[in-house]
Amino acid sequence: MMQGLRSLLPILVFTVLYAALSLSVTNSYYQLVMTLVPVWAIFGLSWNLLSGYTGLISFGHAAFFGLGAYAVALGQIYFDLSPWVLIPLAAIIGGIAGLLIGFPTFRLQGHYFALAMLAYPLAILYVFEWLGFQEITLPIKRDAPIAYMQFSDHRFYTLLALAMMLATILLTRAIERSRFGMALLAIKQNEAAAEAAGINTLAWKLRAITLSGAIAGAVGGFYAVVLLVVTPQSVFGMLVSAQALTVAMFGGVGTVWGPVIGSAILIPLAETLNAEAGSRFPGIQGVIFGLAIVCVILVAPEGLFWKVRDFLRKRSGPQKMATQTAPDLPIAGSTLAAAPSPRERSQGKGDVVLEVRHLSRSFGGLKAVQDVSFKLRQNEILGIIGPNGAGKTTLFNLLNGFLRPDSGEILLNGREMSGHKPHELCEAGIGRTFQIMRPFQRMSISDNVVVGAYVRASTDVEARRLAADAIARVGLSEIADRIAGELTTKELRLMELARALAGQPRILLLDETLAGLGHDEANEVVAVIQRLARDGMTIAIIEHTMQAMVRLVDSFLVLDHGAVIVEGEPEVVTRDNRVIEAYLGKKWMAHAPH
Amino acid sequence: MGQDNRPKTSLTRRTVLSGAAALGLSTVARAQQLAEVKVGLIVPLSGIYTRPGQVMRMGAEMGVEHINAQGGIKALGGAKLKLVVIDCGDTTEKAKNAAQRMVAQESDLVAATGAYLSSFTLAVTEVTERAELPMLTLSYSDLLTERGFKFIFQTAAPASRQSELGLPELMKLAETASGKRPKTVAMLMDNTATSVATAKALKEKIFAQEGLQLVVEEVWTPPLSDATPLIQKVRSARPDMLLFMPNAVSDAKLGLEKINEFGLGQGKIPTVSFSITIAEPDMLQSVSTDAVQGIMTVVANWGSKGHEALIEELKAKYKEPWMTQNVISTYGDMWLMKAALEQAGKADRLAVAQAFRTMDDGPSKYYPGGQLKFDEKGRRVGAGVVIVQWQSGVPVTVYPTDLALAAPFWPKKS
Repeated sequence: MMQGLRSLLPILVFTVLYAALSLSVTNSYYQLVMTLVPVWAIFGLSWNLLSGYTGLISFGHAAFFGLGAYAVALGQIYFDLSPWVLIPLAAIIGGIAGLLIGFPTFRLQGHYFALAMLAYPLAILYVFEWLGFQEITLPIKRDAPIAYMQFSDHRFYTLLALAMMLATILLTRAIERSRFGMALLAIKQNEAAAEAAGINTLAWKLRAITLSGAIAGAVGGFYAVVLLVVTPQSVFGMLVSAQALTVAMFGGVGTVWGPVIGSAILIPLAETLNAEAGSRFPGIQGVIFGLAIVCVILVAPEGLFWKVRDFLRKRSGPQKMATQTAPDLPIAGSTLAAAPSPRERSQGKGDVVLEVRHLSRSFGGLKAVQDVSFKLRQNEILGIIGPNGAGKTTLFNLLNGFLRPDSGEILLNGREMSGHKPHELCEAGIGRTFQIMRPFQRMSISDNVVVGAYVRASTDVEARRLAADAIARVGLSEIADRIAGELTTKELRLMELARALAGQPRILLLDETLAGLGHDEANEVVAVIQRLARDGMTIAIIEHTMQAMVRLVDSFLVLDHGAVIVEGEPEVVTRDNRVIEAYLGKKWMAHAPH
Repeated sequence: MGQDNRPKTSLTRRTVLSGAAALGLSTVARAQQLAEVKVGLIVPLSGIYTRPGQVMRMGAEMGVEHINAQGGIKALGGAKLKLVVIDCGDTTEKAKNAAQRMVAQESDLVAATGAYLSSFTLAVTEVTERAELPMLTLSYSDLLTERGFKFIFQTAAPASRQSELGLPELMKLAETASGKRPKTVAMLMDNTATSVATAKALKEKIFAQEGLQLVVEEVWTPPLSDATPLIQKVRSARPDMLLFMPNAVSDAKLGLEKINEFGLGQGKIPTVSFSITIAEPDMLQSVSTDAVQGIMTVVANWGSKGHEALIEELKAKYKEPWMTQNVISTYGDMWLMKAALEQAGKADRLAVAQAFRTMDDGPSKYYPGGQLKFDEKGRRVGAGVVIVQWQSGVPVTVYPTDLALAAPFWPKKS
């Protein structure tokens, strides 16, 4: 809590300073510029909430902004309502629009999503032109100006805008630190992994776009009050959507500071250029403004905030790093010795946790998985091996819901689970790691792992506890605060393992967890896995390297061309001719011991 | 002016302030040397509306020059007019910001004119109204003077009125020249505010009043990408008259090219427009003089009889081939400001505004029809229209007769 307050300090100080500055300015033009800075910052923050955190770029935030602006203008013209009432209403309209737009559009990803979003404001623009709202003005209220948010002193607008900005920043930060923010960040890094970690990505994305739309709608409504004239171009135009992107990308994507920094620099800069250069060389302001943005994006592609932060971190970094790396991982020696061999566990006798019956899946003519059946018992370690392209990862993708099987059944504790979504399967107790690691680079180990904990935790505190517990189980507690970008491959593998563990799965699916590790490192990871098994975890592991596996697993399932060729204990399987043939080719058969 | 040098945003703010301070100081210095009265011109000088803005500036500069050459403001001891030019950019927000800058930093302005596009004028006048700065404008959207504002003065006839005034004259012209009244009309328009307002007045009232039947009505959103479907409809309907209402030169070009391609040009179907777009000098860069021959347009103002010397000067000085509404109206605005200053007797914006309100200076020299007098809405009393016709590569005034530089002809169906 104290830490939360302390990190709020810069924001509060900034707001107070800005307010003091704006109160001391009496020139109405500077006052207007000072009002527009928070307005565009809020719009940037709204964009950031969706696109900055989820990575789904929206080129169409003007849709929400414009709806808000028109709601306020038309509400005052036709119903004589005050903006004090209409701006909250604009937020609701923006939110609903977000939900309606998000629902169909989230089926798309990447560039397709961005392009589809681009279309909404442009389409709505024509609707408003068709409706005959080419130009509307907010009626002047000479009798009751305050009741209609019409201040003769521009400073009130600045203070109002500032209050809205502060509220938006606090909201964004609250989200950033909650499971909401974690879910969004996880989606940005790897939507599939997020889904596998138990995050209902569609639901979170819809929440994000609804909230983002609501903020954009509110600020659009306020903008109408400031501008007094609303035209389709001025609120739905391409330039409006671009403004949100520009301030956020200039300042820094995925942080509350980004849009604020971007807006505080770009808006006064553009105005100064319009005022100073524009009257001497008309048009030059656009050129200079554009060049400035291009230069900053080239130098700091993620925005000024991150560039400055990385720079400061580098300067104070070296000492910190030294102290952090000093205590090496304790697991290597101590736990390896303590780890029991497979034989010491009650292998193969527990209840069946997962049963797979006749599972098949084809891609066109390729039968990636055909008629695979096996049972996974409580506390067992099953090694799934086979040459490249044998269908191992496809089998995992079927088990955790990334793919739907063409036929067959997946019974989890006797319950049919095939065809369920990944986050549902995760909730049901299937955790997994990935062959290609997707750590959340800028987040600490704790934050990376906590993403996986939310599926089990009802509160943030509980999630933190589960995460800390999972980190302890893989032996990363000492370095839990380190940023993922600074970790070694082994540490990343363990971190991924912890992320899967944080959701307290009953079954762990490990996809080539030992890949890319040296001999000693692999042993360390193996020791961790053995310890998990000893503590009662049921594990299925895909691996190429037979050597490490033989010591680890209770039984093998050997796949080739998508079908099971052998199943059994390691000693038996490694001597089986069909396995040797699949791995090494026919000519090695002769050398095989019979 | 906010004197503030807090470190937070001082970098950008300081540049703004120093620029402003320098401007302010130099004004004071000059004012002491020579009595000057500052008037503002706020027009687009950057972005896609630059060209009309530049042309308006020519008119304003010529006006100021002529007034000063003839002894300045006599009531103020021969004080000279000084033109302050402000770029209002190409968006509504930029226009609003520029207007705020104008009233905040040019606090000694006594009046202003300009803004061009009605959306910009709407935003600019929201600011000038609150700053109590009288603003003249040639923008003719009805909305401008329907907001109950006290500091806006519209010199042109409002859009709804223009069609009301223009169409009956066209009908008379057709009847005199061709011997029969047009009975059917096709209307092709873009959906900008001006066109929509004009079309509304036409459809709701004037067509019926003139006994015209609307046989084709098509609306496009600029920019027009292909005029073929529009013109095809016109060809199959064969109306007696075509109202073609573009507001962008590129749209006008596309439409006219198609009209000629379909063999409807050069008077096969008499074509009429309702804005100055179709008579802009830029048109000749895109289409041949043959393609525009005979086309008429109803405009709020145009270089006419009595302006010959001005037109010559404009040609010589700025290489403009003819005098559009933008030049002549802005030129006239300078004289109107002078008249108000003479009447007010002091360089004070409130006094000047009051002078505009109470002014009654008889017929106008630089605006068609009516008088130099404004009603309670700020509309010029009796403001008329001008009909301009392309004749041998030049759009010339053909109506009203007392202003006409050439006789009109009605293109006949052949």
